[in-house]
Amino acid sequence: MSIIPYLLDFVVFVGIFGIMALSLNLEYGFTGLANFGKVAFFLIGAYTYAILSQTGAPFYLCLIASALTSAIGGLLISLPALRLREDYLAIVTLTTGEILRLIVKSEDWIGGGIWGITVSPAIKMTGASPTSKILVNIGLVFICMAICFIIIQLLTHSPYGRVIRAIREDEVAAEALGKNRSKYKAQIFMLGSAMAGIAGGLFAQYLRFIDPYMFLPIVTFTVWIMVLLGGPANNWGALLGAALVQLFDRGTNLIKDYFTLPIDPTNLQYILFGVLIILVLLYRPQGLLKESEIKTEALRSARARGSTAKNREG
Amino acid sequence: MDINWAQILLNSVITGSIYLIGAIGLSVTYRLSNFSNFAHAEFITLGAFIGYWVSSQLGWGLLPAFIIAFLLTGTVSLLCYRGIFQPLAKRGASTIHLMIASIAVGFIIRYSIGAGWGWTPQYFLNTWTTYEVGAIRITGLWLLLILVTLTSALTMHFALMRTKLGKAIRASSSNPELAAASGINVNRVILITWFIGAGLAAIAGIFRGASTQVWPMTGWDIILPIFAVVVLGGIGNYHGAIVAAFIIGLTENIGVVALTNLGLATEYRMALAFLIIIITLIVKPQGLAMFFRRA
Amino acid sequence: MPEEALLKIEKVSKHFGGIYAVNNVSLDIHEGGIWSMVGPNGSGKSTLFNTILGLYKPDEGTISFKGERINNMYPYQIYARGLVNSFQTPRIFHSMTILDNMLVAARGHQGDSMWNSLFMRKKWQKQEEKLIDEALNLLEFVELNRMAFSPAAELSGGQRKLLELAKVLMAKPTLLLLDEPAAGINPVLAKKIFRKLNEISRNGTTFLIIEHRLDLLFEFASWTYVLNKGSIIATGKPKDIVNNPVFYQAYLGEE
Repeated sequence: MSIIPYLLDFVVFVGIFGIMALSLNLEYGFTGLANFGKVAFFLIGAYTYAILSQTGAPFYLCLIASALTSAIGGLLISLPALRLREDYLAIVTLTTGEILRLIVKSEDWIGGGIWGITVSPAIKMTGASPTSKILVNIGLVFICMAICFIIIQLLTHSPYGRVIRAIREDEVAAEALGKNRSKYKAQIFMLGSAMAGIAGGLFAQYLRFIDPYMFLPIVTFTVWIMVLLGGPANNWGALLGAALVQLFDRGTNLIKDYFTLPIDPTNLQYILFGVLIILVLLYRPQGLLKESEIKTEALRSARARGSTAKNREG
Repeated sequence: MDINWAQILLNSVITGSIYLIGAIGLSVTYRLSNFSNFAHAEFITLGAFIGYWVSSQLGWGLLPAFIIAFLLTGTVSLLCYRGIFQPLAKRGASTIHLMIASIAVGFIIRYSIGAGWGWTPQYFLNTWTTYEVGAIRITGLWLLLILVTLTSALTMHFALMRTKLGKAIRASSSNPELAAASGINVNRVILITWFIGAGLAAIAGIFRGASTQVWPMTGWDIILPIFAVVVLGGIGNYHGAIVAAFIIGLTENIGVVALTNLGLATEYRMALAFLIIIITLIVKPQGLAMFFRRA
Repeated sequence: MPEEALLKIEKVSKHFGGIYAVNNVSLDIHEGGIWSMVGPNGSGKSTLFNTILGLYKPDEGTISFKGERINNMYPYQIYARGLVNSFQTPRIFHSMTILDNMLVAARGHQGDSMWNSLFMRKKWQKQEEKLIDEALNLLEFVELNRMAFSPAAELSGGQRKLLELAKVLMAKPTLLLLDEPAAGINPVLAKKIFRKLNEISRNGTTFLIIEHRLDLLFEFASWTYVLNKGSIIATGKPKDIVNNPVFYQAYLGEE
């Protein structure tokens, strides 16, 4: 494999997982919702995209549908689950992911069961070189990522962002201050799931083929380590984490290609992955970038006034 | 279709037994250490592989397999606790961080096993005689399982109720601060439960492995029903776990009959465990304790 | 009394297991002034507060606020109606700045909705500016304004108590329940706080305060309920109450 397509492939995956990391950061980093079933919503998005693409629908419709079905899935899970304690929520979401995978594996009529499903090319580019096809995908993925990033930035740097952070810190106190915590949590869960659905759709669109074995719990934990490594409650951190973890993944893949090792490199890759997670939790539990403070224009000007006042006094 | 209810009941006891000895360690450590250890699935897998290695690869027979698997897996579990979970907890890691760490530990164990034994399913070499009693068929393996479960369940019961250690475990799980204040070495109690719990998980792994296959996902394959036992029985509740294990065994076995009759894949029996988890967590009245948890 | 009570509690009971924490309590709070509640530890004051606020559901009885039944409402709905409380042990949001702690408590901030925060940013920026001014004024009063942009985690125990109080004043409540606002605060500042509360009460906020310091009650409270073992055993003006033998029995009986 020549180096250029390999690099471009890397960039596509940074984008797709960047969206996943942003959405988990919104759920866990800002709101404190421990979603251990991110892969479930990634799966819903991917299968929605694949099935719809076979009807000949244009790619933007497929992506919108991916976002919608995942959001609905998120809502259905959130109705019962969001009242639960954080560790129970983790168990429920984790098992949800496993059940969904079981369903697409057992029901051949949904997406070909274990044989998988091919995704019709939603963007027609007959005669284009593989490199330019990847470039188009990069464009698409990064536009989606930018939209998600802007939405989350706006949300988290607003009074709304203040409320969800308060819910993360102490949800009973937040409710006693007049915030309907169930509503906020359900909204965040739906929005986060919609974004994971878009990532899933882009994943299906890029790979042109999906099967149930692509949606193992490892996907969820890859996204978790991205958020924990980059720094929870920091959107730049989520993107940084996504890039670093992808780099780590590719790096260990390269080792596989160029070195002969006494143990099977695929296994080694996962073992190193586990070690990385533990090292981060032990030595850098707050992540690389620290939580970003809430910024609104009003706060910024108040802070400026405050510092000039202080200077005058001092 | 003729349904052999006696057989279904027996099968439920058998399924439930594996889940029970697989779940006890998870349930007690969840309660005492305040997080659910997802690497518990890999303790089951590890036990299955050690058992397979001792009995089928080395050819030493089943009894040494049980003993060695129990001790080795227990030791691995202790190392995980002392080397990773305890230091994390001391640094103030949240429940979620501990759970993520346990998943990472699970990865390390699972893929180390994959590196050591490979991902092709292996099978125990033992052959088992089948006995027929009336309408019931039972293999020697199942008889052994029932025997082991009964013995360990009774031993655990009397150990918990009568011995000093058992009382210490119960006191620590109902109120750790109070237990520590009354002179119980809670840390030692936690270490012992991590050891015994993982040892029992290893035994469950051998039975699961001997009756199906041994591969790096052996433990993860039954993680859903095991969680269902822990949750339905009440986290850290030993007697609750016994009842829950048999309820889940029964649900699965009746579920398989129902699913077959409905023309659905029998793999959906796992979905029943999932439903039990969700319904229990939501319906179980947590009341005020939930509302004032951090007060 | 002719006018309708602001808060009307009728035959409310709350028990845990078999123990009655609040037993058949009825009381009225009318608009205006500072009302107080005293009683020994474990007499059910805090439980009664939590029941009023919707954190506990009463087992029997009804609670009405401004003529509307509130005993089946969620805490956030009760807050939206202007019935607000501050916790005895401060519950502040540690990783947020002190100013953000104040702003999150404001009632009816338009930016609290997802849609507005995304697409109507102009709409709430003005409101946010006004709220920041109010918050800084309140913080100045509790002497925390110079720390407005520091994380709340940096506050001392006494300062947290002050932030807890200042934060609920952001809501401009109709009725404010305070659970021992002066506990753990130096006497000079405590007196200053009560003077401020008195001033605020003249602008339309009614207070119901749990307080042990009788000197403060004598000076500021207009009416007192005495709670013991979950029941109201005496009621009247603070100065009259202390002459009531029942009051002393309740306190001395405990020791």
